[in-house]
Amino acid sequence: MRRATRVAIAQAIFGCDVLAEKTRPGRDQGPRFTAPKRSRVKPGAGDLMGTFKVTLANRDNAQIEVDARRPLLDSLRDHGIDLPYGCQYGGCITCAAKLTAGEVTQNRQVALNNRQINYGYIILCVARPVTDITLEIGVESHDKLYRNPFLDPLKAHELKADIATPQED
Amino acid sequence: MECCGPGYASPADAIKAPREKLLYTIAIYTGTGIQKPDYLATVDVDPESPTYSQVIHRLEMPGIGDELHHMGWNACSSCFDDSSMSRRYLLLPGVRSNTIHVVDTATDPRAPRLHKVIDGAEIKSKTNLSGPHTVHCLGSEIIISMLGDAMGEAPGGYLHLNKDFEIMGRWEASMGDIPFGYDFWYQPRHNVMVSSEWAAPNTFMPGFDLEEVGHLKYGRRLHIWDFEARKPVETMYLGEDGLIPLEVKFHHNPDSTHGFCGAALSANVIHFWKGEDGWQWEKIIDVENEPHPEWPIPVPGVMSAILVSMDDKYLYLNNWLHGDMRQYDITDPHNPVLTGQVYMGGLLGKAPVVNGVEMAGGPQMFQLSLDGRRLYVTTSLFSTWDNQFYPQIREKGGVMVQIDCDPVHGGMAINPDFIVDFGQEPNGPSRCHEARYPGGDCTSDIWL
Repeated sequence: MRRATRVAIAQAIFGCDVLAEKTRPGRDQGPRFTAPKRSRVKPGAGDLMGTFKVTLANRDNAQIEVDARRPLLDSLRDHGIDLPYGCQYGGCITCAAKLTAGEVTQNRQVALNNRQINYGYIILCVARPVTDITLEIGVESHDKLYRNPFLDPLKAHELKADIATPQED
Repeated sequence: MECCGPGYASPADAIKAPREKLLYTIAIYTGTGIQKPDYLATVDVDPESPTYSQVIHRLEMPGIGDELHHMGWNACSSCFDDSSMSRRYLLLPGVRSNTIHVVDTATDPRAPRLHKVIDGAEIKSKTNLSGPHTVHCLGSEIIISMLGDAMGEAPGGYLHLNKDFEIMGRWEASMGDIPFGYDFWYQPRHNVMVSSEWAAPNTFMPGFDLEEVGHLKYGRRLHIWDFEARKPVETMYLGEDGLIPLEVKFHHNPDSTHGFCGAALSANVIHFWKGEDGWQWEKIIDVENEPHPEWPIPVPGVMSAILVSMDDKYLYLNNWLHGDMRQYDITDPHNPVLTGQVYMGGLLGKAPVVNGVEMAGGPQMFQLSLDGRRLYVTTSLFSTWDNQFYPQIREKGGVMVQIDCDPVHGGMAINPDFIVDFGQEPNGPSRCHEARYPGGDCTSDIWL
């Protein structure tokens, strides 16, 4: 690839020169995009019992009770819902699902960029419910998970949390 | 001849080996939505056979979601003098599960069977490594590049197995200041290993964000190792010419110091060699980006693999997004000459159908016969990246194509009689990636 084209790609897509060596911003340098409201802990109806209700929108709205302390992937498997997974530490995106109602905490996930999080994606192997929730599960829920990175670039605030910059209003 | 362990006495002997009749390729369901294990497919490549150009056996892995990717033999020509060794076991790592499957291909080559499973969790706990990629034998032992630590952060390191596939620990004495791992190749007569850089598993496994290249989450360096001391001693910073340097191949000639690397995003071939002033590198092939009516910018080739023929005369490369396979005469490694090019799939619309099969994907991984005449090419890269660039592969599956190559005068042509459509697999469309031949191939053997 010629340098001129490469620079054009870089500038067209993220307004900087991809070729420039840059200091990697440290986690404590300046403000970072904060993960969305979903990471806020909000006591739910089932909280006192340590369980929450999970509705599976694309499984005929089947409902199961899950332990608030267990990752959703494990709870689903306990109920016979066997979903694809890989790393089991929140890094590989295989077990992504879409949260359409309620809130979860998933502080350990490192696979999702902020755009995916804003679409509602969660990583089941590390996510735990903090309210009753509704999920779409399986690859059927991945309609907005993948995008052509050249045709549909991310804005600076849509990158993964460790490199995102805050959105300017 | 007094004899002999696995492989061949020399590259020249390997070229004279009998023609391959079977090949093995991995096929994945990971990321496809089909809740089935990935598997090792045996493909009949004997034109005299009634099942020619068909999958004749499928060995399913015990778990689901491994993401099988690359493979490697337990032994190669580096053990040619060791009659206690044989090229019998094929190692199939799962990039996502971290589990390594050891498959016995010798008892019944047409129907390989599972010999041993090295549990991914055990590898993590004993070595703090994950994300297995390239497998090379090392005399009678095996090393595997692991792209991350147990939590998927770079740089990872090298897993060392003994000949009974027991975990010896980490192979390397030090990773030095290497930021990322990926592929590696070694040339023992020069006490050298060269390694390349992809990214941390946590970066590449979820998919490709172009912006992360600018944030230095993808590699742009090659590393020269002191092979015996097992530590990196020199870095070649490739910069803009070498964005995401992936496959590394030395000449097969064990006396040569010339080697090559394909930089995927820059779509360049880097040539490196040891000169009078030490290790040097240069860019020898630069694939131009191509315009596309629907793209705001020209499409980069994405050169994800390269291969050197056994006689060291030709270098083959793919452009996954453009859709072409190329053959270069590298008799003079400083001045390659384009001698062949064919299209199969790709985004440029130059060959949407090959031998009656609609292509969802472009040329991706390939394996060349020892005599240099048959190049088997598959179309899937990595499940999440496939889903980004070729989403229709989910319904259509991967394809294996045979390209006939002229090793004397140069030239390539799609073989009209061969095509394996993994879209027609019994459990639904799967995706094929790396291929290996039972008798050894052009990316496995190293001579001491």
